[in-house]
Amino acid sequence: MGLLTILKKMKQKEKEMRLLMLGLDNAGKTTILKKFNGEDINTISPTLGFNIKTLEHKGFKLNVWDVGGQKSLRSYWRNYFESTDGLIWVVDSADKRRLLDCREELRGLLKEERLAGATLLVFANKQDLPGALPAEEIRRNLGLDDIKTHHWMIIGCSAVTGENLLYGIDWLIDDIASRIFTMD
Amino acid sequence: MAANESGDGDQVELMDFQEEELASSVSNLDDTKFDTTIGHIEDIIMEDGFQKMQGDFMEQHYHHFDDDEENKFIYTDIHKQYLSLVEKYLEEQLVARMPGFTMEAFSTQLETRKKKKKDSLEGEIFEILLTFTDFLAFKEMFLDYKAEKEGRTVDLSDGFIVTPYHEPSTSNDKPSSSTSEAPGKN
Repeated sequence: MGLLTILKKMKQKEKEMRLLMLGLDNAGKTTILKKFNGEDINTISPTLGFNIKTLEHKGFKLNVWDVGGQKSLRSYWRNYFESTDGLIWVVDSADKRRLLDCREELRGLLKEERLAGATLLVFANKQDLPGALPAEEIRRNLGLDDIKTHHWMIIGCSAVTGENLLYGIDWLIDDIASRIFTMD
Repeated sequence: MAANESGDGDQVELMDFQEEELASSVSNLDDTKFDTTIGHIEDIIMEDGFQKMQGDFMEQHYHHFDDDEENKFIYTDIHKQYLSLVEKYLEEQLVARMPGFTMEAFSTQLETRKKKKKDSLEGEIFEILLTFTDFLAFKEMFLDYKAEKEGRTVDLSDGFIVTPYHEPSTSNDKPSSSTSEAPGKN
């Protein structure tokens, strides 16, 4: 580890969190990020790289990383695991066809050593769509109850209406904060 | 007995005193060494060599950068390269300036200081060093470099456009005025 990395790790402030938002393509990751930040969400195109936003929320500085979810891009996810406090897994609740794919990708992530300490928040997004499965169905389909390695929660939400976004993020921050403070 | 007791007492007192002095002088020595290292880092970053290295690096990679909100994956690779370049450069320079310097020992020292007093990493130099690791600051640096590069190019072409417009009249005027001036002076 080089000098700069060491300095960065040492200087990491208590009041700062790094959140990594992942999920299959078209799940609504960028829309969630922008909606949460109060930006226009009408002109969002598929993410081919990654977005970063620094938000102030509940007295914390949140560094949110949103990485493109297309199949060809998923191998890049690993470059963004380091120092992640919270993983936000976004699911298109209306995309029943790809739930298995979704489940496998999440499984893979939870095995990653560098994500071992991260809290998991699953957003069952697109609840505003008529065909969307409720969060309970997504929970069963993704086999979330088998997860023993991470603190996790699933919540139904809509990036378009903004429903439950705040609730989810608040839970995530509280969980991370309680872990960080007990560690100190 | 009495003399002996007081003698023991003196001895104990003396030993305590010596230990204290020894401990503080060791920590002073560490502090001095640490401050010297920090001083060197400050120098190294301000020097032309470092600026040149940074400039060369930006010249080599700036064409990848676009002023878009979304980031390309290659920015992450370039950032990693940049960090190891800066780290390597700092280490080489420190070794050259301080015989026996090792980054491992310095890192350990940093961590020890951090544990002892929390504010020991405050200061401009640490802010600068930490900025190197900040991705958004890194991207900004490249966009600034690119804008400066392209800004300069635009200014130059502006200059070229302006000149030809005046040329038909001024170029005809100038020689005639200078030739008319020359005979007038003569």
